[in-house]
Amino acid sequence: MGNLADRLMEELECRTSFTIPIFGGIPVPESCVMTWFIMAVLVIGSIIFTKRMKVVPTGFQCLVESFVLWMDNFFLEILGSKGKKYLPILETLLLYIGISNIIGLVGLRPPTKDLGVTATLAIFAILLIQFSGIREKGVKKWLHSFCEPMAFMLPINIMELVIKPLSLCMRLFGNVLGAFVIMELLKLVVPVGVPLVFSFYFDVFDGAIQAYVFVFLTSLFMSEAIEEAE
Amino acid sequence: MGLLAIGAGLAVLTGIGAGIGIGIATSKAAEAIARQPEAKGDINKALLLGCALAEATAIYGFVIALLIILLLK
Repeated sequence: MGNLADRLMEELECRTSFTIPIFGGIPVPESCVMTWFIMAVLVIGSIIFTKRMKVVPTGFQCLVESFVLWMDNFFLEILGSKGKKYLPILETLLLYIGISNIIGLVGLRPPTKDLGVTATLAIFAILLIQFSGIREKGVKKWLHSFCEPMAFMLPINIMELVIKPLSLCMRLFGNVLGAFVIMELLKLVVPVGVPLVFSFYFDVFDGAIQAYVFVFLTSLFMSEAIEEAE
Repeated sequence: MGLLAIGAGLAVLTGIGAGIGIGIATSKAAEAIARQPEAKGDINKALLLGCALAEATAIYGFVIALLIILLLK
């Protein structure tokens, strides 16, 4: 039993894959390398899929087009017509989180298991939300939005600036880490066959749902930030 | 170590609340879809949001349990 716990702990810690030998060595964590890998996959994928586009789509182009259209409609429905310029960034976020959650399926370690990655994503999301608020409303109205609906709500609204990203970050981190722990336990106990079935639930279903929820909440907060108070 | 394990176990009990909450939400959503099948998309979206928010408490419990085991060891 002690052996099992030790091996689990070993799987849990964020490994350093290599060290850049300048300034006394900068450690590069594994999640960073995985992120580069996902970036490469996404970039190469989008180059391949958009290389020979036709007016009447065939084959893969149909698939990619309908997926992109689905994402467009999904975000536009939440954000309204004003949200059109934020579509690319939200869709990239969805693709990145989705792929990094699902990557556990091929035996790689998902970068979202690292608290640093999810915290970065959440901070990025809150900056995006506030930035879109400033851009759509102007600084004055944005500042005033902290005093809505009443002036005494000010501390609560400021607290929300911290709580929203914290909850986004912890939700993603907890879900991915929980799924990872269960999968590792399963792999240690029954190495053959059974993990495959559970992997479909924990990696594919749960990962996709969490990516969806993350961008869904981000766009919901954004629509709250950019809507005009009547 | 024994007390730590008990503490971590207690923290994970937050899952009870999330389980009950998601159960209620899903049963209501099933009822709503049965009553109005054409509103399925909207109901699904609301259900998913509600489940994500309800589930967050369970996840916090899990993260706290993990922190107890990892940091207080």
